Amino acid sequence: IDSKALPRPLEGDVEPKLFAEMYPMNCDPRYLRLTTSAIPNSQSLAARWHLPLGAIVCPLAEAPDGEEVPVVNFASTGIIRCRRCRTYVNPFVTFTDSGRKWRCSLCTLLNDVPGEYFSHLDATGRRLDLDQRPELTKGSVEFVAPTEYMMRPPMPPVYFFLIDVSISAVRSGMIEVVAQTIRSCLDELPGFPRTQIGFATFDSAIHFYNMKSSLTQPQMMVVSDLDDIFVPLPDDLLVNLSESRSVVETFLDSLPSMFQDNMNVESAFGPALKAAFMVMSQLGGKLLIFQNTLPSLGVGRLKLRGDDLRVYGTDKEHMLRLPEDPFYKQMAAELTKNQISVNAYAFSEKYTDIASLGALAKYTGGQVYYYPSFQSATHGEKLRHELSRDLTRETAWEAVMRIRCGKGVRFTSYHGNFMLRSTDLMALPAVDCDKAYAAQLSLEDTLLTTQTVYFQVALLYTASCGERRIRVHTAAAPVVADLGEMYRQADSGAIVSLLSRLAIEKTLSHKLEDARNSLQLRIIKALKEYRNLYAVQHRLGGRMIYPESLKFLPLYGLAICRSKPLRGGYADAPLDERCSAGYTMMSLPVKKLLKLLYPRLVRLDEYILKASTQADIKDLEKTLPLAAENLDARGLYLYDDGFRFILWFGRALSPDVAMNLLGADFAAELSKVNLYEHDNEMSRKLMRILKKFRDSDHSYYQLCHLIRQGEQPRESYLFLSYLLEDQIGGANG
Amino acid sequence: MSEMANTDPEGLDGVRMSWNVWPRTKVEASKCVIPLAASFSPIRPNPDIITLPYAPLRCKTCSAVLNPFSRVDFAAKIWICPFCYQRNHFPPHYSMISETNLPGELYAQYTTVQYSLFQNPNPNPNLTPTLPPVFLFMLDTCMIEEEMGFVKSALKRAIGLLPENALVGFVSFGTQVQVHELGFSDMSKVYVFRGNKEISKEQVLEQLGLGISARRTGGPGYQKGLPNGFPNSGVTRFLLPAGDCEYTLNALLDELQTDQWPVPPGSRASRCTGVALSVATGLLGACSTGTGARIIALVGGPCTEGPGTIVSKDLSDPVRSHKDLDKDAAPYFKKAVKFYENLANQLVSQGHVLDLFASALDQVGVAEMKVAVEKTGGLVVLAESFGHSVFKDSFKRVFEEGEQSLGLCFNGTLEINCSKDIKIQGIVGPCTSLEKKGPAVADTVIGEGGTTAWKMCGLDKSTCLTVFFDLSSSDRSNAPGTVNPMLYLQFLTSYQNPEGQLMLRVTTISRAWIDSAVSSEELVQGFDQETAAVVMARLTSLKMETEEGFDATRWLDRSLIRLCSKFGDYRKDDPASFTLNPSFSLFPQFMFNLRRSQFVQVFNNSPDETAYFRMLLNRENITNAAVMIQPSLISYSFNSLPAPALLDVASIAADRILLLDSYFSVVIFHGMQIAQWRNAGYHNQPEHRAFAQLLQAPNDDVQMIIRERFPVPRLVVCDQHGSQARFLLAKLNPSATYNNAHEMAAGSDVIFTDDVSLQVFFEHLQRLAVQS
Ligand SMILES: [Zn+2]
Ligand SMILES: [Zn+2]
Repeated sequence: IDSKALPRPLEGDVEPKLFAEMYPMNCDPRYLRLTTSAIPNSQSLAARWHLPLGAIVCPLAEAPDGEEVPVVNFASTGIIRCRRCRTYVNPFVTFTDSGRKWRCSLCTLLNDVPGEYFSHLDATGRRLDLDQRPELTKGSVEFVAPTEYMMRPPMPPVYFFLIDVSISAVRSGMIEVVAQTIRSCLDELPGFPRTQIGFATFDSAIHFYNMKSSLTQPQMMVVSDLDDIFVPLPDDLLVNLSESRSVVETFLDSLPSMFQDNMNVESAFGPALKAAFMVMSQLGGKLLIFQNTLPSLGVGRLKLRGDDLRVYGTDKEHMLRLPEDPFYKQMAAELTKNQISVNAYAFSEKYTDIASLGALAKYTGGQVYYYPSFQSATHGEKLRHELSRDLTRETAWEAVMRIRCGKGVRFTSYHGNFMLRSTDLMALPAVDCDKAYAAQLSLEDTLLTTQTVYFQVALLYTASCGERRIRVHTAAAPVVADLGEMYRQADSGAIVSLLSRLAIEKTLSHKLEDARNSLQLRIIKALKEYRNLYAVQHRLGGRMIYPESLKFLPLYGLAICRSKPLRGGYADAPLDERCSAGYTMMSLPVKKLLKLLYPRLVRLDEYILKASTQADIKDLEKTLPLAAENLDARGLYLYDDGFRFILWFGRALSPDVAMNLLGADFAAELSKVNLYEHDNEMSRKLMRILKKFRDSDHSYYQLCHLIRQGEQPRESYLFLSYLLEDQIGGANG
Repeated sequence: MSEMANTDPEGLDGVRMSWNVWPRTKVEASKCVIPLAASFSPIRPNPDIITLPYAPLRCKTCSAVLNPFSRVDFAAKIWICPFCYQRNHFPPHYSMISETNLPGELYAQYTTVQYSLFQNPNPNPNLTPTLPPVFLFMLDTCMIEEEMGFVKSALKRAIGLLPENALVGFVSFGTQVQVHELGFSDMSKVYVFRGNKEISKEQVLEQLGLGISARRTGGPGYQKGLPNGFPNSGVTRFLLPAGDCEYTLNALLDELQTDQWPVPPGSRASRCTGVALSVATGLLGACSTGTGARIIALVGGPCTEGPGTIVSKDLSDPVRSHKDLDKDAAPYFKKAVKFYENLANQLVSQGHVLDLFASALDQVGVAEMKVAVEKTGGLVVLAESFGHSVFKDSFKRVFEEGEQSLGLCFNGTLEINCSKDIKIQGIVGPCTSLEKKGPAVADTVIGEGGTTAWKMCGLDKSTCLTVFFDLSSSDRSNAPGTVNPMLYLQFLTSYQNPEGQLMLRVTTISRAWIDSAVSSEELVQGFDQETAAVVMARLTSLKMETEEGFDATRWLDRSLIRLCSKFGDYRKDDPASFTLNPSFSLFPQFMFNLRRSQFVQVFNNSPDETAYFRMLLNRENITNAAVMIQPSLISYSFNSLPAPALLDVASIAADRILLLDSYFSVVIFHGMQIAQWRNAGYHNQPEHRAFAQLLQAPNDDVQMIIRERFPVPRLVVCDQHGSQARFLLAKLNPSATYNNAHEMAAGSDVIFTDDVSLQVFFEHLQRLAVQS
């Protein structure tokens, strides 16, 4: 395939319009997207489709102002649900029998309407109170859950921090950034005044902190019995933030200096994790781990199994990408059971076994943040933003999610960061707007008889305010008998999302090469099928044709194969970065994923040089194809994949620009230069652009890397090898 | 008795012996009934003891130290060892000696001398680095707020009294153990240990970052450089000079909370005294050898968690009683004792001391922990509350300097040399056998035996030990010509004084042998009945603790009868003819009171109290120990000076004040009339100044007793017929009981008891002693 001949998704993700147009009462696609909005009516038709049939769900996606999900409180009436399939009342149910009965949209059972919910129907069979019933008109609603939806009183938001204080952590400056960031976020942690907070630090021992509100300063409690870890206090290791605020602040203020002379090289990470678990197990909550040294002591210690060149290409290759010690998966199961979600922040300059560490985040609905060779001077800003985002974003606690669908179809597999509690119940100790989940669908019967299939996502969770709620997203999709219709209704964003997750999962049991091959094979099969469908009528001979809806699929397929988790072999990405990217991509919402797969490349020099300060910033939205041939040596380019910026200085760029943007550093080695605002218009303009780009999505912070054209091998390693459309060594796209 | 208190029966040597003249043979000795024993106060101060600033000369054969009993050949510059008759040459620096130029240790009156030894060859004491003493406080936190308040203020005061350079550490415990890192400046920091798991010294050091791996990996405990001369510098994170950490400690105590772990209803607090002691001991194990260190344990209740547990957490299980111990129905006892024994051994091997301050209404396990206190020579105080003066004032005494100082010394070692044919059975008192074998070691063991050397990790001015001797069973009558008429005993006590200096005290005594088979006259003259009574009390206590089914009363009675049979004057089978030599005349009364005392009648007390009484009985001097057995009673009345009164209920009178000193408690007892006058406030009226003085007199005497005594006795002030009067009545001879109340004079008192009176006891004794 000649990638240059392929259509390019320069507009980024485009949400499927048809989905909403066909069924205006469907929930917004930001919450639920199907890989095709036309459900095949038979298993044989589904098989010919070749692409995955399924859905991407982002239950808490951020809604623009005015489009927030309405909250419905049934109070004493109780929540109206189908007696048989437990579907929540939704816009697709129908009322009959003068309003005394309602028919379930999913299973068609006729249910009684409770007395308090009764309403007369008009001539067309619509309830007279429809305008006061968001649950009957909106695809997304949120029910306030009564006590029967609680196993226990709703938990308060809990943040527990487990911080590595070994020598490498101290030297990287991580501790200082973390302490300052947490302190700066204390006012914005969700759930005031119920929010609880706690800290533990570790090196070869575990240090707990007594934060009792009556103390003038925290008390550090060291436990070194690594084989038999225990909690040194019954309470006060996890405290109410508003009550213990001053003790918490004192602690955060002294944390960086407390360990500044620490010479300890060890990491009792496993025991520390168990300790944190013990402290949190009563309540649950978010456990944020800051890890700088490979776990070396106690349970869960890891070997420097490293990134062995010789393993690549063998049957054992995938083992490198799996947790080494069963401890991590077992702990994750325990954590999830106790409503604890782990976010793992890793900083090491050496191999740190993200594969093992990340399992904690994966199975607890958490996230992995990896800052290789972290140095606060360079990476501090990124960590600050991402940690702040993690701490302040609205979070749903102790959640479970289930996706129901109508008769004849069934969700068969789930892909993302969570633990499956039963065959179809996802346990999510914590969920937020940055997490998406994928599920694959299959037909239960050989033939579907219904015209429409309904889907309903229900997320039962505790809001930070302490209310137990159920967020329900409902959508309908037509059943079709025509493969062409399936293609027309296809959503390449959802398909790419699902395909990338399947491919990443495959790297955990197969060689990278096999994972790439099977992905490509699948896309080719699908396109062949499509060609077979239309080749005759269009007389296209040997040329490749694409359905309009899937025109970007081949290029995205290529992009998945060249993404960090799947690209090349040993030398093409450090193992830890590969694994970290894998964990991250498994939970990304569609839009973010597509941006990562096909980043934005824009030229900046003209804009920056323009005299007018009010230059049309729209010019910047002209995204360039990702090919080196588009790089003009006289230009300044910005590459943005949503996680990082690369600012590329062409060899022939006016030295004036570099001087203005970089100040005294303009001639220095750019790998050592940090970009900051200088007192000139050019610099201000650049910073404004970066800010504007960052503002479009706050889930990650794009750290700006500076590259000068021809600065090798850095240019290739950081940048050129990511120019998707180029064929560069190793990346066999 | 009171006359005796004015003299110094122990003299320069601090030695008192049951027999001051010894029979020649083992057979004769056994006929004497009362064992050959010496009570010895190793470092009792006496202004007449000289200190010699050089090292002693030792016999090259038996290593006895040169003493006034050595025969010296001034011309040949040779001395003959009185123990083994070895001829020893004087070294060159003694070349100047002559009959008129004697070194101190050869002066006849200096049977006790002290040598001050230097730890290194540098003779200038100002330049000698001495190791500062270490005080590791170990505080129980399972107590009510009020008690916690008392103990905190006591601690603060104590810390203020410590010398600036003394090193201080702090451990608190409850459900878990917390070792406070006083040297951590950023915030308060503790190392926490599980309370329910046995922990070895190595584990303690490892977990505190003082172990081997900490040094290897640059762990938290490792600091470069070796301040204070500690081989393991990390320990200075936990032990800081008092001057440097007083502020930290005070702040720490202010914020220290009672144990935070919940106690379910119907349960005892979970208190891991055993593990806490293991951890404290382990921490001190990081100090260099020779450091004088003590754990000062402040315990407010029983150990219920982990090793050393003495009772279950279930409040419906009472703490073991003497009955339970007797019936073997105390499931935790033996295991706990074993645990504290091991702990004691560890402390002894490190040379460190355990002091136990127990304050609680119920028992805390003194009986189990006794072994660790006694073997290390620690102090023990048992009180009802940390707010009680028995604790408060005693605790303060520990840290006071000057005249009031207890004179706490460290790292003591006692060695005993004795003449041929004398064997040492062992020592009862605060020490541990070093198991140094030799010809003087007897086959039988009493107390800490099987040795001629003992360790005393802690010792002080009043420390007293009882050495039990035996004689060789070999028949020596075969060679009477070579027999020396004198026997010699030499006590060598080396120790580190409170200033950290190394001292050696040498006491050499000589007594006469007598062939008692020929005449017992001299033997009788050499009998010290007060010492004998105390020796019997100590031996009885030991037997009660160690011999199963030992019947103390019966054994004491039989011993007394045998003694009276042998040394009394009487016609066979004629009780009326019985008389005792004045050297023996007080002894039966001692035995009568011993039979009634807390040492024998243990069922009136808890095992903790018994253990406490016995520890003090064993470590106090003869005079004090005698008061424990047979209290002193002084009567105060108008128109006469205070006078000793008979320890008899007949001494009670309405117009008298009695002062009873039973050592552990002091009772001021106001007769009915006195109490009435006092209640009427007569003593405040100028015309009744004499009454005011009468009221005041016993109080002044009590203050004197309290000032000199450690632990501070419990003071009871009561009135005749008041409820507190029982403290007096319990100690009095029941000459008048309700059985013969009708014979009583008005104004006297009646004791409700079935005990036999002294008179009845004596009648029985006379009858049995003269039986053929
Ligand atoms: Zn239904
Ligand atoms: Zn000799």
